[in-house]
Amino acid sequence: MGHLEREAVRYLGYGKHAVDDGTLALIAESFADLRKVAEQKSIYRIFALSHGETGGAGRLAIGGLQLESRNLAKNLKGCGEAALFAATLGVGVDRLIRRAEITNMAKAVVLQACAAAYLEEYCDACQERIAREARREGKYLRPRFSPGYGDFSLSYQAGIMRMLDCAKQIGLTMTDGCLMTPIKSVTAVIGIGTVGAACHQGGCGACRKRDCLYRRD
Amino acid sequence: MILDELGKRLLFFDGGMGTLLQERGLGPGELPETWNFGERANDVVDVHKAYVEAGSDVILTNTFGANALKYHDGRYPLKDVVEAAVRNARDAFGQAGRNGYVALDVGPTGKLLKPMGDLDFEEAYRAFREVVVYGADAGVDAIHIETMGDTYEMKAAVLAAKENTDLPVFVTAVFDERGKLLTGADVLAVVSMLEGLRVDALGVNCGLGPMQMGPVLDELFAYSSLPVIVKPNAGLPKTRGGKTVYDISAGEFAEEMEKIVRKGALAVGGCCGTTPEHVRLLAGRCAGIKVAPPQRKARTVVSSYGKAVLFGGRSIIIGERINPTGKKKLKAALKAHDIDYILKEAITQEDQGAHILDVNVGLPGIDETEMMKEAVESLQGVTGLPLQIDTVDMKAMEAALRVYNGKAMVNSVSGKQESMDGVFPLVRKYGGVVVALLLDEDGIPDTAGGRIAIAKKIIAEAAKYGIEKKDLVMDALALTISSEPRGAAVALETLRRLRDELGVHTVLGVSNISFGLPMRPVINAAFYTMALHGGLSSGIINPASEDMMRAYDAYHALMGLDDNCGNYISKYGGMTTAVAPAGAANESPVGSGNVGNGAGMPGAGGAGGGRMTLQKAIERGMKDEAGALARELVKASAPLDVINGHLIPALDLVGKGFEEGTVFLPQLLMSAEAAKGAFAVLKEAMEGAGNAGGKKEKVVLATVKGDIHDIGKNIVKVLLENYNFDVVDLGKDVPPERVVEAVKAQDVRLVGLSALMTTTVAGMEETIRLLRKEAPDCRVMVGGAVLNQEYADMIGADFYGKDAMQSVYYAQRVLQGTKSCAPLQAGIAKKVSDES
Repeated sequence: MGHLEREAVRYLGYGKHAVDDGTLALIAESFADLRKVAEQKSIYRIFALSHGETGGAGRLAIGGLQLESRNLAKNLKGCGEAALFAATLGVGVDRLIRRAEITNMAKAVVLQACAAAYLEEYCDACQERIAREARREGKYLRPRFSPGYGDFSLSYQAGIMRMLDCAKQIGLTMTDGCLMTPIKSVTAVIGIGTVGAACHQGGCGACRKRDCLYRRD
Repeated sequence: MILDELGKRLLFFDGGMGTLLQERGLGPGELPETWNFGERANDVVDVHKAYVEAGSDVILTNTFGANALKYHDGRYPLKDVVEAAVRNARDAFGQAGRNGYVALDVGPTGKLLKPMGDLDFEEAYRAFREVVVYGADAGVDAIHIETMGDTYEMKAAVLAAKENTDLPVFVTAVFDERGKLLTGADVLAVVSMLEGLRVDALGVNCGLGPMQMGPVLDELFAYSSLPVIVKPNAGLPKTRGGKTVYDISAGEFAEEMEKIVRKGALAVGGCCGTTPEHVRLLAGRCAGIKVAPPQRKARTVVSSYGKAVLFGGRSIIIGERINPTGKKKLKAALKAHDIDYILKEAITQEDQGAHILDVNVGLPGIDETEMMKEAVESLQGVTGLPLQIDTVDMKAMEAALRVYNGKAMVNSVSGKQESMDGVFPLVRKYGGVVVALLLDEDGIPDTAGGRIAIAKKIIAEAAKYGIEKKDLVMDALALTISSEPRGAAVALETLRRLRDELGVHTVLGVSNISFGLPMRPVINAAFYTMALHGGLSSGIINPASEDMMRAYDAYHALMGLDDNCGNYISKYGGMTTAVAPAGAANESPVGSGNVGNGAGMPGAGGAGGGRMTLQKAIERGMKDEAGALARELVKASAPLDVINGHLIPALDLVGKGFEEGTVFLPQLLMSAEAAKGAFAVLKEAMEGAGNAGGKKEKVVLATVKGDIHDIGKNIVKVLLENYNFDVVDLGKDVPPERVVEAVKAQDVRLVGLSALMTTTVAGMEETIRLLRKEAPDCRVMVGGAVLNQEYADMIGADFYGKDAMQSVYYAQRVLQGTKSCAPLQAGIAKKVSDES
């Protein structure tokens, strides 16, 4: 099993259990389908970051975007800049999953997990490219931090997407309830600083839901 | 008038606006439209004026994001924004001392339309209508809809412009390197839809630089009968020092644009990154080039959001299965409002090789207009095949054509005046390729000559509406040979003459030919081959019929229409006998969706070396085997005994394993599907024995308002159905009132609500509150990623289901008075005999 497959299995909640052959076959088929229909697109822009001095801890400004989140502020500590980042797998993946929900629910569930893994891998690759450019200027990236992590409210999605002109640039839009469409999409803030963060306090490590089924050890 | 000049001389549009305003201080995320006022208005006028002086004939107003869905600014109402923008553009011409045209710039809403997003088609229409009406009132010369990445949104904008103004309408879309829109449409699909909607010019803007646009432009010039507008970016965007820059100079831009003009562009300008300097060099270089109006193209094309189907090469298969005539299950599904059944039929036909799907939902006692609209909208969410709208009800036809995302096939018009009076105005407005039945007030002529005469009459009448011959597909009419001995001969002669004398494409409802005869597939397949050879462009057939598909595949291989017999070999290569067992050919060529039945699973069935039993087949999620084994068992045992002795123990075991963490969600669902396969067999057996069923308990399921993630709800649905509940699935983004309405109308005692995000739990709470008030006896169970017991208590739910099985157990406790799976048999037996 490769990294992608292992991640899909983790999202399916198998934990350390062995995966049955039927599910493995569905995983292989799902990744093949995703490779055919996914249209990955991404965009980022780098802005000056300022940590608020008044109004309490957790106040931040990224370019013209005002934010308030203690968890994000902690993630961005020591950074003078931040990249706003957005990525999507496109509407084709949404259609693929919807279609499976009609014909084969087990496949739909597996596709869902595989798409999540596929998207994360794509985001990792994008972030690595940004990191390479930053390193040329002697700067380092923090792990990306998305609305919905910890106390970083989902409602900030709107501002991030406006700053990046996501609808026009990569076809990423938002519903009235702040959910992204296409569904398999990510927005994030990535801190940029002049020192390499030794300890990667991102993703699962930063989350307080310690009984989560999907938590990485 | 701009239309008097378009096509006669090269017209110059302007270039980038947003990028120039950014240079003057417009911040990221700031609304450019607010610059139409006050001191900043001078900046806008200056940019316009620079373009006019550089040679632009057409200036787009600074209104790209000026629609109610995108424009959020309390200070200036939209009407003022549009008026100020038009005034600024006019002032620029005035200050420059030149005449020219002002076009209202209409950009996308920034939202995704249903079913992929949450924006309703008519809501998008209303947003566009508001802006175009302001623009028309302010005196613009044309409406320019641009930077569109979705055909559906494009259609809403075009309809808004055409229905509410008399202005010329131009549309340009953003294609990517693969020649596709963001939501998947290719060039031909976009061109055919826009020509059907009768816009005045079409083309491309943004996305790419002139160098990268080559392949897209080649297709545009090849397909479009309308003038083509080209407005590229100044090359590809590059990030330098945190700023976006474009990679070619104004000189290079002009040089590339000249090539594009010589290929056939009739209006040119620029988009992001282009400046007055780009336009100045472009106009200088190209001003003298003589242009000619585009030639009319005679291609017959239907399209969906993502795919165009071109008539003329291989014969087109139009799947006939979504039509209730003679189909008991579809009739029942329509009456029960079971949209999923229709969607399954669609996906099956697509997998079997259909290119277009006929959609007929007419049935006494149902509102055909509503059902047709819903069916079309739902089908567009799961299949990319173009649809053929099949109805005699003009209201239903208009409703379907309006919400259709693309250029539909329309079934049908006839030579009767009343029919033509009803259908042609709709096709003129919405576009479409019409099936024309060669009959009129005097009935069906019994000679080919008589039918050709009607075809000519229909062509002449269509021309009065501006509907060209290419948009008519003639149905030569196959009358059954059991009562019309010359039925086939006349149809075949008509086909040949339609092709040779009138040069039109043709269609037949092929299987009519054998009505009243035994072994109909024998006749049908032979007639299909003959008709294909006679020039049949498209056949309305059942793609599940092996005989028909074999005739189709063989014909194309024989006539050199299947390169190197590639399709034939890939489909039949693995078969050893001349005639393969029925169903076998379905497995190889279309590989989607058939894993999960166990057949393709390594190791399936082999474990332990023991004989496969029904119980094992269900436990391992082997759908086909489960069906086959149930069929074996029911030969010797009563269906009820098979349920009690095999099905229930298997479901029990899997359910328990899931609770204990040894069986996981995909396996649970594979088992559910396998059990369903076995149930279907047993149900048939019970019906054969004349067993009558009892009443099933209803459960209403909904993903709450504001939430569009409904996979969790759908998982619960599959399992509840497996355990004998009648699920009323209200879908996603469901307003509280609709939940209450369904509960009251069907006297439902249990509702399941799903929400994924914290932001949408409010919708859940609101729904519960309303249910308590309006239907106090109804229980509410909730689930979803963001929920937990504490949260569920807080919003007043009766039960929190931490996983899908918990919802099933709760439903059993509440509705069936049971706690575990074991005493389920009575209920399941009822389910089995109920489903008919």
